[in-house]
Amino acid sequence: MLRKEQNDLLTQTGPGTPMGQLFRCSWVPALLAEELPENDCPPVRVKLLSERLLAFRDSDGRLGLIDEFCAHRGVSLWFGRNEEKGLRCPYHGWKYDVTGQCVDVPSEPAESGYCRKIKLKSYPLIEKGGILWTYMGPPERRPPEPAWEFASVPDRQRYVSKREQECNWLQAMEGGIDSSHVSFLHRGDLHSDPLFKGAKGNQYNLGDARPVFEVVESAGGLYIGARRNAENGHYYWRITPWVVPSFTMIAPRGNHSVHGHFWIPVDDENCWTWSFDYHPIRELTAAEVAAMREGKGVHVAVIPGTYRPVANKDNDYLMDRAAQKAGRSYSGVAGFGMQDASVQESMGPIVDRTKENLVSTDNGIIMARHRLMRAAKALVEKGIMPPGVDPEHQKIRSVAIVLPHDVPYKEGAREALVARPGVAPATV
Amino acid sequence: MQSESARMASAAEARFRIDAPNSKPRAIKVIALDRPSDRVVKRLAQATWNQASFFTASAFAGAPQGTGSFSMTGWLSDVAGRTTDLVNEVDGADLVVMVATAGENASAAAIIGEACSVKRVNTTSLIVAGAGASDEALAKTLAQLRPWSLMLVIASADDYIEDMLRALRA
Repeated sequence: MLRKEQNDLLTQTGPGTPMGQLFRCSWVPALLAEELPENDCPPVRVKLLSERLLAFRDSDGRLGLIDEFCAHRGVSLWFGRNEEKGLRCPYHGWKYDVTGQCVDVPSEPAESGYCRKIKLKSYPLIEKGGILWTYMGPPERRPPEPAWEFASVPDRQRYVSKREQECNWLQAMEGGIDSSHVSFLHRGDLHSDPLFKGAKGNQYNLGDARPVFEVVESAGGLYIGARRNAENGHYYWRITPWVVPSFTMIAPRGNHSVHGHFWIPVDDENCWTWSFDYHPIRELTAAEVAAMREGKGVHVAVIPGTYRPVANKDNDYLMDRAAQKAGRSYSGVAGFGMQDASVQESMGPIVDRTKENLVSTDNGIIMARHRLMRAAKALVEKGIMPPGVDPEHQKIRSVAIVLPHDVPYKEGAREALVARPGVAPATV
Repeated sequence: MQSESARMASAAEARFRIDAPNSKPRAIKVIALDRPSDRVVKRLAQATWNQASFFTASAFAGAPQGTGSFSMTGWLSDVAGRTTDLVNEVDGADLVVMVATAGENASAAAIIGEACSVKRVNTTSLIVAGAGASDEALAKTLAQLRPWSLMLVIASADDYIEDMLRALRA
């Protein structure tokens, strides 16, 4: 459980809040690159960390993320014309460049220079790994560009998707580090989903239904290790890294691609679930990419033209009670992603953690909250940068590995937990 | 018309959730396995808790037999220094938390762990491994705790222990 003030601290990410400041220390995914596909394309509304913004790509291909509303009369610039190196408000023609600088106020004499006195708030927007990333913190603290391995491999080795999730970011993220739910909520899907099935590691999962968990602090956050018995005095380990504030990777299975997530607050009652698959040393196959587009693995089928899942709370997540009763689906909801989202959204927009009853297997969640609160406090009170900002904290991997009984997994998998270009992942 | 899931997941509907206690406090026994951990546990014991009690593994007569029957005698010390019987304490527990320091002797974990196994009580172990703790020191303590822990946490500082106990409603 958390006290109310602790729950508020962790779930509120708007401007000026401690967790909001923490999120504003790092580059966060803002849009898929496909959303701004060409110069002078239509602008896109973006709401991040409770701020209403507008993204656009100007005539020269420069990316901008600016305050959504015109400084003149407050019109949404989504209605603007993206033309001649700027975005022009359709109401009275005020025009802004990608930095938010007003470059034209038609009703004022050009010689007056009035437009130079008008500037909208803006944030940098950069493209890397099929994602447009933004940094919403103070310019003087702008960190190095994102160094996540999935965003660094060649394009054909990666697939990225995003979907709307209608709840606070923390309850979505906590699902990502709650390893013990897999045996229930996702039961059965490991052996049928094309992006998971067939790995030897799945047999260890089947052979030992009661994993033992070990939570270990890392420089950037945590490692959550789940161990099962393997042959000849060995353990089969699945190691999930979590990096502050909201990045996780799922341990690999066989030669399948590796997957992971970011959860980024839209506001305090909605978030973006970002999902990626990549392979460090090979291109994804056409069949893999097709499966991901269909919503297999960690991805979700979305309503065309939107990023809202096809199965969503407005249609009861297409709950299939017959499949549930017949044992074809444990939860009745299809797919890993919506199985997670359906239960997490059912908690309400912001779950009341004063009423929860955690047990010892929830130590990954407890430790993550502990680290987040500690990091937010250190940032606000002493200006100490949180874990996860340092690019070295981002060069990590999830691991599936068999180790002798007496080896600390952080030691036994030390090299495997570090992203090394061109080196195959440790997987079983 | 909104679906039932959409209506019921709204903030407005959250106002109608039952506002009544949904659990009773669990009896959690926190046991320090070594001298540095003893200092931490005694400090924690000064705070107010629901049903947590705090001990030090003080004296054990014998080693675990591994035969399925529990045959050794173990004694704990409570924070006031009173000696208490290990099996009796474990018998009344919902969860036993063992606290150890990387590099220190955690051999008591085997006896406590076996008592918990016999009594079917869940065990969680916390190893405090400060920045100066070597891999060898951690491995030594880990090897002693791992066979007897259903959940194991390696924390860089002892402030995690209080957060964990509060989170578990101790």
